[in-house]
Amino acid sequence: MTVLAEQQEDSARRTRRSLTLSIGLLLVGLHLAVALLTLVWIPYDPTGMTGGRLEAPSWAHWAGTDRLGRDLFTQIMIGSRIALIVGAGAVAIAAAIGVTLGVLAAFATRYLDDALAATFDILIAFPTLLLAMLVVAATGTASLLSAILALGIAISAIVARLTRILAKRVLAMDYITAARTAGSSWPSIVFRHLLPNIWPTLSVNFALQFGLAVIAEASLSYLGLGAPPPNASWGRLLQEAQGTVYTAPFGAVAPGLALVSLVIGMNLLADGLRDIGDPTRRRSR
Amino acid sequence: MTLLAIDGLTLSIGDQALVRDLSLSIAGGERLGLIGESGSGKSLTALAAIGLLPPDIRAEGSILLDGRQVIGAREEDLLPLRGAAVATVFQEPLTALDPLMKVGRQVAEPLARRYRREGKKLDRKALAREVRDLLERVSLPDIDRIVNAYPYEISGGQRQRIAIAMALACRPKLLIADEPTTALDVTTQAEILDLLSDLVRENGMALLFISHDLPVVARVAEKVAVLRRGEVVEQGPVTSVFGAPAHEYTRTLVSAAAAFDKALEPAQ
Ligand SMILES: Nc1ncnc2c1ncn2[C@@H]1O[C@H](COP(=O)(O)OP(=O)(O)O)[C@@H](O)[C@H]1O
Ligand SMILES: [Mg+2]
Repeated sequence: MTVLAEQQEDSARRTRRSLTLSIGLLLVGLHLAVALLTLVWIPYDPTGMTGGRLEAPSWAHWAGTDRLGRDLFTQIMIGSRIALIVGAGAVAIAAAIGVTLGVLAAFATRYLDDALAATFDILIAFPTLLLAMLVVAATGTASLLSAILALGIAISAIVARLTRILAKRVLAMDYITAARTAGSSWPSIVFRHLLPNIWPTLSVNFALQFGLAVIAEASLSYLGLGAPPPNASWGRLLQEAQGTVYTAPFGAVAPGLALVSLVIGMNLLADGLRDIGDPTRRRSR
Repeated sequence: MTLLAIDGLTLSIGDQALVRDLSLSIAGGERLGLIGESGSGKSLTALAAIGLLPPDIRAEGSILLDGRQVIGAREEDLLPLRGAAVATVFQEPLTALDPLMKVGRQVAEPLARRYRREGKKLDRKALAREVRDLLERVSLPDIDRIVNAYPYEISGGQRQRIAIAMALACRPKLLIADEPTTALDVTTQAEILDLLSDLVRENGMALLFISHDLPVVARVAEKVAVLRRGEVVEQGPVTSVFGAPAHEYTRTLVSAAAAFDKALEPAQ
């Protein structure tokens, strides 16, 4: 391939990447804006009967009304806030537990490392949803907090396994040994060299897990294990629309679209993020 | 005074011995070459000397580094030795530097540690100045650019000079160089070797120089130990070991190097 063709391909790839990143940012940004808006303003009282039952979408009710005559668009807007809280909360918990355990395993002696690795693998073999259901059952009540905690713990195994593999690869590098011979302490190795070097890959994974957490929470809610109204999530709306899906399909379609747009947005963002944070991949200079 | 005294070192994994009954010593300011084919245990010996063996490798025997026993020592007892007594330069210039950290900061790090060790005040300006001094001493050009460059933005030879500067920043009594020029082209290799020899001499450092390449060892070391399959087969002054090799293996090394020289001669 000629140099010119290579450059063209490279720039085409970059354009594609930045387009991906832009669409991702747009979708996630939209949900974030709506979530923030709900803190100060919502169109209707989400629990009040503000229209007829099962009304089709109209100018007054953009997404129609549910079977109790409540405005669906208002509930979907609040759902954005719930989804972002769930995603961010679950990923934060998963990151805290997963990165700590993963780094620990990478540093550990052979036996402890093997034991931890096996634990991660077993936990990952469980479906996330099943694991989350067990945690919700263990905490006793179905609330937003228990759902976040459950998903955070379930996802932490995935993060731990990835962290362990990435960390082992970095720790085998000569610059780590050189830093250790030169007298660097463990904390200094972890915070100055290890975490910055695994961060680009980890952050991409966090964005993906964020999307998965939102889906999993919707599933939990759909099964009746999520937060009850008025903090209902999209999964709860989907569950409530289930009985009337033939007569009033918008009740399922509207929250479904909201869910899909946020998850796709997170995935595109993850894809676009891949290049950022790794200077060797920023080739534009 | 003896800086590094390895006595009867055996390294094994499971019941397989990787290094057997190895003894060698390096006095202050002395330059010892450790030569042997790939896989003969050179790197493991070096790692053992600084107490950084992989956890599943067992060490027996005695290693005194600056008077302190390394084998069986706890991490916190080894930490003060590292940097002060010993520092290393490795083979791969690509993996020897943190890819995500600007070169200037990487050199500043061991330097800042040395300042703390010596109880010196941590003054940003003084630190930045000495980083530039160090880069100058390893003969790097265009220091303004290099200080702010990432490792991938500079050449392999330049990266290896940075690695040397980082080791120098520690002011160790002993420098361990594990095949520091193997990954470089011949011209760069010669430049780095000369730089290394000069710096070691100027600073009165001792040197443990590891290589599989006889001419390279002959160029920088005054004493040599020949390692084969985990065992030292011969050691002594470079002139006598390479001049009149006693062991069969050393003889093959010497004649291979001689044959290589001869092959080059007609071209010159
Ligand atoms: N972490 C390890 N676990 C098991 N075997 C190892 C490990 N590191 C090195 N070895 C083995 O020890 C021997 C010596 O390795 P090394 O010291 O790296 O050789 P050299 O540096 O002389 O090329 C080799 O046979 C190698 O396969
Ligand atoms: Mg080696």
